[in-house]
Amino acid sequence: MNYPVWQLGIPGGLLIAFIAVIHVFVSHFAVGGGAYLVLTERKAYRENDAALLSYVREHSKFFALLTVVFGAVTGVGIWITIGLVSPEATSSLIHTFVWGWAIEWVFFFVEIAAILIYAYNWDTLDKATHLKIGWIYFVAAWMSLAIINGILTYMLTPGTWLETKQFWDGFFNPTYWPSLVLRTLFAMALAGVFGLFTATDLDGAVREKTVRWAGRWLLIGMVLTPLAGIWYAAKLPAFAKQYFLELTSPQHTVRMVLACTTVAAVLALLAMIRPQWWRRPVLTLALLASFAALAGGEYLREFSRKPFAIANYIYANDVRVASVNEIADSGGMLKHAKWLREANGSLVDYGHQVYAMQCSNCHSISGYRALRTRVRGWDPQFAAAIVPSLHLTRGPMPEFAGDKQDAAALGTYLATLAPMTITIQSGNEAESGQEVFEMRCAMCHSIHGRMRPLSLAGGDVDAIVTMTNMLPDVNPQMPPFTGNDSERHALAVWLSAQK
Amino acid sequence: MNPLPIPAADPMPLPAPVWLLKSLLLLTFFLHVLFMSGMLGGAVVAVTSAIRGETDKKFAMLARRVVGILPVLMASTITLGVAALLFVQVLYGQMLYASSILMGVAWFALIPIVIVGYYGFYWASNKSSLRGLGLGVLLVFVVGLIFTNNMTLMLAPERWRAMYSAGAAGLHLNFDELSLVPRYLHMMLGSVAMGGLLVVILGLREKKIEVRAWLLRQGSLWFVVATAANIVVGFWFLMTLRSEVRDLFMGRSKVATALMIAGMLLPIGAIVHLVLGLSGKKADRQAMAGIGAAVLTVALMVGMRDIVRTGYLNPVFRAGEMAVSSQWGVIGLFFLLFVGGLVTLGWMVRKVAAASQQKA
Repeated sequence: MNYPVWQLGIPGGLLIAFIAVIHVFVSHFAVGGGAYLVLTERKAYRENDAALLSYVREHSKFFALLTVVFGAVTGVGIWITIGLVSPEATSSLIHTFVWGWAIEWVFFFVEIAAILIYAYNWDTLDKATHLKIGWIYFVAAWMSLAIINGILTYMLTPGTWLETKQFWDGFFNPTYWPSLVLRTLFAMALAGVFGLFTATDLDGAVREKTVRWAGRWLLIGMVLTPLAGIWYAAKLPAFAKQYFLELTSPQHTVRMVLACTTVAAVLALLAMIRPQWWRRPVLTLALLASFAALAGGEYLREFSRKPFAIANYIYANDVRVASVNEIADSGGMLKHAKWLREANGSLVDYGHQVYAMQCSNCHSISGYRALRTRVRGWDPQFAAAIVPSLHLTRGPMPEFAGDKQDAAALGTYLATLAPMTITIQSGNEAESGQEVFEMRCAMCHSIHGRMRPLSLAGGDVDAIVTMTNMLPDVNPQMPPFTGNDSERHALAVWLSAQK
Repeated sequence: MNPLPIPAADPMPLPAPVWLLKSLLLLTFFLHVLFMSGMLGGAVVAVTSAIRGETDKKFAMLARRVVGILPVLMASTITLGVAALLFVQVLYGQMLYASSILMGVAWFALIPIVIVGYYGFYWASNKSSLRGLGLGVLLVFVVGLIFTNNMTLMLAPERWRAMYSAGAAGLHLNFDELSLVPRYLHMMLGSVAMGGLLVVILGLREKKIEVRAWLLRQGSLWFVVATAANIVVGFWFLMTLRSEVRDLFMGRSKVATALMIAGMLLPIGAIVHLVLGLSGKKADRQAMAGIGAAVLTVALMVGMRDIVRTGYLNPVFRAGEMAVSSQWGVIGLFFLLFVGGLVTLGWMVRKVAAASQQKA
């Protein structure tokens, strides 16, 4: 409401996810890979293995080039992107945690300096100093993870911060420790994957040795990560746990993540037992599996937080939870939305602006989380009535922040997206009744299952028809039934026939 | 409806007093500009030297040396820029987020542009590729232009509503701003001058007398020509400022006027020192004095830039009026760790310097 909305045509949340996932992939490698570098270097000294040492030298240059440029710049890129997509939430995070970020920045500059010195001074520094600088790098890199982890987990589980507004209450929040352990373990797995990446094309005996060694990192990381995941899941807020019980999308993602973790672990085992089989196709599969596991994990974390950007404080559409009632009760968006364009008299245009401000961070019109499929058949009256109850529908939705006029405008706009009329076939009322149900009831109700089941099986058709005439009286949050009489009848016939 | 769509202040108070946040903003931005200008100007010097180096070995040597340090300068520029970006957000987030969104496409494009430009410098440095260098320079100039656009657009809320009504896809830039072009040129020419100083520094570290003298001459030449041109551009910039802000520098504010005068005299002093160093004795001392005067000029310019920002925003937004609730415990921890980080950094750099000296 405070800021303009960047209307690019794709949901901003998707843009953040895109930048964030590639950053997280590289930055976790940057953490785990630090330990991998020094421990491999130490191993090479202890075993007096020149070939292994030469491998870790080359690996360190690849490491620096990838993490210092791509890792660091995409990290800043997340900042830039969240500022563009969720300025209200970003501003709140910055006001709350600017000193957390400042501390992270200290570790960041130590980290950058250390890795550049480490990677480019193999010949100048003595072994002990070189190893020390490697350790400095690793500690600084891990610490920057430990700091940003506090801010990131706060967004999902702000804990007692919501009452106290104290820095450390938000920082050491309920998911801080499980998330830190989870990320550290995954960082270890990624160190293994990237170790395998540079080891695959080696020649001679060092190849098998390095593949075995890196494989061990991948295996340990991939086996332990799911255990930390269980700990993390146990600390999720109740509303998030509910999603995993009710919604198919997180359920499928959990399965996908577990499958990918298993694939990566099995490949790691292969690397250790049969290093000679480790070739580029296997490497590619391991990289893809790790990336998919990470992307899935990040998706689950983001999904768990819906409908919030900061749980119970700011919604994902950048509206503050505390301001919803004020906006609804005193003047609506006309008064509160600073960036409303001059109304040109068209309700649809006004409704489109409401869509941009309250829906477009998560929903596109026809692409990602498309509205067109979600509002199929909605008419203006029905849409205007259901908009204020959207947070009660299936899936995680924020409360609508607007008054009746705003809801009417949004409803009018939504009704233009996918208008549809159902033609009732006289011989086949039951089938048409199902269509009516899908269009007019299914966003809130199911027949069986958890979502407000309608058990009207065997009910009197005429009684059901009568009931459709008084839905808002049954429950003021229900929209009126806006279909015609033959639709009513078909729906009643179908509902009555369900078992 | 609010005539100017300026976002309301964040309900969370500032977590530190404004003076502290402002000091850190100015300090980190000053350091950022030093490295940025060395990197950008150095890259310009390197490109022209590399081209001349095809026929003249000395220039090829100069290009090689500068290119070799570009990645480290870039890393420092970004690292320090991150800190400045953090503090500018906490003080001016309301203005900055709004303007960023209006030019969202260009602002977002910073990410790939910086990545590709950065790799261009690595490409140039590892494979001595002129193409990589050219790409890096070009993209860094674009980055500067995007920043100048946003740093001026965040000061111009009177343009925002019309822009947003014309299109919400984030395709705007701020070229309607009269001071944009001279401001950008002022920054870029200043960077070229600092690139010259980088060559002077390379010269001071050189042991072979002949090469040393040549490097000092080349570097000074770049600095002198760029700075002389920049004095003219600086006046142009001053003339395009909004009149009530320009007046601050022309007598209305003592501090601003003093900075303005010092900001004109110091670079002239730097020029004099560098030229004297070329022709007379005590070349080293003269060069050092020139460098000192130039670095001090950058600090003054950073201060003047802040006066311009505060002056432009003064009618609509004052950072000093925001609520403050300082997180002293965390601030203390930050300074403790900051000192620790500097000590660690110093230790590492000393170790490398000592080891390289031993090798040599």
